[in-house]
Amino acid sequence: MVTYNLYIGCSVPVNYPNYESAMIKVAQAYDMELIYMEGVACCGSPNLRAFDHTGWMTVNARTLAIADKTGYDIVTPCNGCFGSLKDVHHVLMHDDEEREKINKILKKENLEFTGVAKPRHFVEVLYHDIGIDEIKKKITKPLDGVGIAIHYGCHLLRPGDVTEFKPEYLQELVKVTGATVIDYPLWKQCCGATVLPVNEDIAIRLARDKVKSMKESGAVFATVVCPACGNQLDLQQLGLKESYGEVYNLPVLVYPQILGLALGMDEEEVGLGMNRVPADPILEHLSD
Amino acid sequence: MLVVYLMTEMEERSGPPITLIDPIDMSKLDPTFRDEIKSMPNGEALSACFACSTCTAACPIANMWKYKPHQLIRMILLGMKEEVLSSNEIWLCLTCYECQERCPQKVRVTDIFFDCKNLAAEEGKIPPNVVALAKELLTKGQLYTVTADWEREDMGLEPEVPGLSVEAVKTILKDTRTRKIVGGDE
Repeated sequence: MVTYNLYIGCSVPVNYPNYESAMIKVAQAYDMELIYMEGVACCGSPNLRAFDHTGWMTVNARTLAIADKTGYDIVTPCNGCFGSLKDVHHVLMHDDEEREKINKILKKENLEFTGVAKPRHFVEVLYHDIGIDEIKKKITKPLDGVGIAIHYGCHLLRPGDVTEFKPEYLQELVKVTGATVIDYPLWKQCCGATVLPVNEDIAIRLARDKVKSMKESGAVFATVVCPACGNQLDLQQLGLKESYGEVYNLPVLVYPQILGLALGMDEEEVGLGMNRVPADPILEHLSD
Repeated sequence: MLVVYLMTEMEERSGPPITLIDPIDMSKLDPTFRDEIKSMPNGEALSACFACSTCTAACPIANMWKYKPHQLIRMILLGMKEEVLSSNEIWLCLTCYECQERCPQKVRVTDIFFDCKNLAAEEGKIPPNVVALAKELLTKGQLYTVTADWEREDMGLEPEVPGLSVEAVKTILKDTRTRKIVGGDE
């Protein structure tokens, strides 16, 4: 059994308890031990980075330093948390001056950033630490080749020199469940979440373009690995009838829901009932 | 018969020449601005920009911007500090990194816009909805707080988020710019 620090963030536990629960169940199925981190809160998201760089660095360096004490890597299901932690980890590993400055602040709490514990996204841990072959061994109800469009989320993929995440990781993880990965033109494009507080119209337009591109390319389902992206593609989809006069009915599942179903979990266990666009049609695509 | 196509300058002039952008007021330029950005952690490659506009082509929403990403970078190089820091565009940035990822000169475009937002925030130039987020972080220590704990229980999770402690975040942000932005006694 491998142990990880679980950094759950603030959005997943509040808006997506089904994501949290499905992730924990999938982790258990593969003998991963996820321990909720003690004494941590929000990463501040790109919003905090925008107006208070030092505050953002300190908050995230503190989370990293708490994990450093345990020696276990950090796992998070949220691209926002992943991006923040990964960015700060990258800066502190490469900038001695900044590291000294931040460690001076952390010293008040008897903490020190050492960089031992690496921040990682849950799907990257599945891909690298468990591996596709081991994942495959436990799949009992593979999907029937149904087309799934992947929305990676910006802060999972970019900046590539910092996140070190390759699209192939998630493609392989979707394929191993028996589903087919659907290529679509706007696969790299942003969901619009970050701009939501500043300009809602642009945010909705981006979400709409994304869902439209997926649907027109033949996707039957979409998958996301971030609560903010999930909110944009799933919840916002319901409002498109009013704003654009368009209805897409494209269910959006977080990746652990898809893998969980392929592992034989039922719809309640992976919390399908909490998805905004009804996601239960995916049950029809599971083998008996 | 020889056809001569008239260029615009052949037409009778009745006012200032037509320009694509507003004329630059040289007296308002701040030549130290580019050095200020260059001295920040992400600004090193700033001067390498050769204005190819790849960043603008990559931006999903540049068509809605008055100043396009490549123009903002050029404006920084020219010292147009006031225009850059007062622009809506830096706050509309999706932070999707499409521009930065494609820059052939390795200019960290998105990261530089983050630096610009920090400088703008220091001058109090910050959209009200972003101030509201700052207040949320300063007073609650997080952006989202559990209200429907039954949803968590339905999923077999503890109603309270395990390990959550918002005090440290609040304490940190009281000593940094967040406090200054929010103001008051919060």
